[in-house]
Amino acid sequence: MGDLINIFIKSAFIENLALAYFLGMCSYLAVSKTVKTAFGLGLAVIFVLGITMPINWVINTWLLGENGIFQTDLTFLRFILFIAVIASMVQLVEMVVEKYSPALYNSLGIFLPLITVNCAILGGSLFMVSKEYNFAESVAFGLGGGFGWFLAIVAIAAIREKIKYSDVPPAMRGLGMAFLLTGLMGMAFMGLMGIDPAAF
Amino acid sequence: MADTTIVQPKEAAIKFGKKERKLITDPLDDNNPITVQVLGICSALAVTTGMKNALVMAVAVIFVLVFSNVITSLLRKQIPKQVRMIVQLVIIAALVTIVELTLKAIAFDSYKQLSVFIGLIITNCIIMGRLEAFAMANKPWESALDGLGNGFGYGIILIIVAFFREFFGKGELMGAKIIGGTSDYLLDTSSIAWLGWYENNNLMVLFPSAMFVIAVLIWAHRAWNPKLVDVS
Amino acid sequence: MQNNNSVIGFILALTFVVALILALLQNGLKPIHDKNEALYSKKATLAAVADHIDGDFNKINNDQIQDIFDSQIKQMVLNSEGSVVESAELESLGVKGGMAENLDLTREQKKKPEDRLLPLYVYTKSDGSKYYIVYTRGKGLWDEIWGNIALEEDLKTLAGVSFDHKAETPGLGAEIKDNKEFKAQFIGKKIYDDNGNYTSVYVRKGGAKDPVHEVDGISGATITADGVTEMLQRGLKAYEPYLKTIKS
Repeated sequence: MGDLINIFIKSAFIENLALAYFLGMCSYLAVSKTVKTAFGLGLAVIFVLGITMPINWVINTWLLGENGIFQTDLTFLRFILFIAVIASMVQLVEMVVEKYSPALYNSLGIFLPLITVNCAILGGSLFMVSKEYNFAESVAFGLGGGFGWFLAIVAIAAIREKIKYSDVPPAMRGLGMAFLLTGLMGMAFMGLMGIDPAAF
Repeated sequence: MADTTIVQPKEAAIKFGKKERKLITDPLDDNNPITVQVLGICSALAVTTGMKNALVMAVAVIFVLVFSNVITSLLRKQIPKQVRMIVQLVIIAALVTIVELTLKAIAFDSYKQLSVFIGLIITNCIIMGRLEAFAMANKPWESALDGLGNGFGYGIILIIVAFFREFFGKGELMGAKIIGGTSDYLLDTSSIAWLGWYENNNLMVLFPSAMFVIAVLIWAHRAWNPKLVDVS
Repeated sequence: MQNNNSVIGFILALTFVVALILALLQNGLKPIHDKNEALYSKKATLAAVADHIDGDFNKINNDQIQDIFDSQIKQMVLNSEGSVVESAELESLGVKGGMAENLDLTREQKKKPEDRLLPLYVYTKSDGSKYYIVYTRGKGLWDEIWGNIALEEDLKTLAGVSFDHKAETPGLGAEIKDNKEFKAQFIGKKIYDDNGNYTSVYVRKGGAKDPVHEVDGISGATITADGVTEMLQRGLKAYEPYLKTIKS
């Protein structure tokens, strides 16, 4: 259990998908104009990551691997299957959100289906494969990674809301500032590198 | 009496007129995928530590962009609406798999260095974005050109960022050692007196620096092209 | 709105075509992939003796690497007790051709140290001198790291090293692989002291204190450097049983 908590903390803070690997930048920059939308998108990302990780793990190990049910190396189908799983899960999340929280559904708009092409989701699954996690570890990694991404997008949305009233040079306004801020946040998070949660 | 029906010359399917040229030049400036449309950022950050990797990534993205645009355009009337997104993704994923298998065979070193980020071409928003915005509603030749243009726009930014990061971070360009502290380098700072103070900036090799370089690029781009100020 | 059948039909057709194309490509390219993979690790092994290869190692091509392996390298697989494992036994364990180059090193690492099989490459230079290239694997900051260490004929002086890693940070931990100066430090270091005690080589943060048994660390990469120290300490010792039999 301690191992799993380590992985959760590592993927949320030390190997933050958004601020250490800069994954999911497109929606990160586009949806972070207000904290409200950032919050909603972040939650959706946690959910999608938490679900697709284990499913992709099962597919990768039991279907595609040499020890899986087909007994041959089918890893070249990995990309297609992973993205298909992600697309289906996002479709599911979309339907659930539309039914239970129409307000959130409307405020997220196009960005809900865009979670499908959020590099953080596919990237998370690909990292899980390259780190060779087992099932429980992938769940921890998925939830932790999602949580970290959520923190990152809410943080930068908060900063951007405040900066809107500052005197920024016209050419830097909006997007340029967002990049600069993200870079600085990335540098800050680098300070966390090397922390071994197991030591606590 | 001679038959006076005038036969209209059929419009050539493949032409390269002003409209077509615009498809290529627009994304280089006004509609640059990275600095204006804010698409395709993820890979731009991770692979720009060296110009060689940036080039390989740019070529890979151009390949996938052009071919997925063309294939989607050819199939645009057949793709059922309900599964539109999944079909597009499958096409993209298949092309990216082809790229990965090819790289693994002909450029193994680049394959090893790019690793996870080759797969992430699938989620490169530029590709999905262009399929939805252009290929689904246009003919194959135009779609190919649109893919080419956006691919170039993406590639140019990638190469510029990689240039700065590689040169100032490692003192190298395309792997050739230009400036540094040992005799391997063309400009050896330990032996040339007036360069003794110069040290390669290691920060440029780390991820956040890519963000800074792009921020400056956006600043420069918008200062030069005032139409773009606060477009997002 | 098309009816469900045509949607399903389309999806099935698309899936079939895509799977077929990819399967054909994968099958066709697999031999090349495997060859590339094998040459990549061979190059890493040779990198440990880069200074002793005829010609410029940086410009070496794949055919030359294979040539050197065929004509100048003797491969052996050892067990933890120091005996050579015969190729017949290796084949029965699943190692293709019974050759060291086909050992699955990731799998070996997962075994208990006493059960591990170790590869050993003996490189004979054109002037007849021999170099013993050993392999060790450990943990860096983020994930695994590994290295090929070349020992001179006296079996205590290092002739060269090459390191690699799975996920270290470029510019920091990854310097163990990319930084030539870091690796060059190891040349000439000794792993035993004058009394014959095992010392290995220590990567010291802040600068080496002992010029014979230590090297300078990498700033910002302490944990990776510690990983290198650890894997050298443990990994070189694992070959001791066999190396002792050669010395005598």
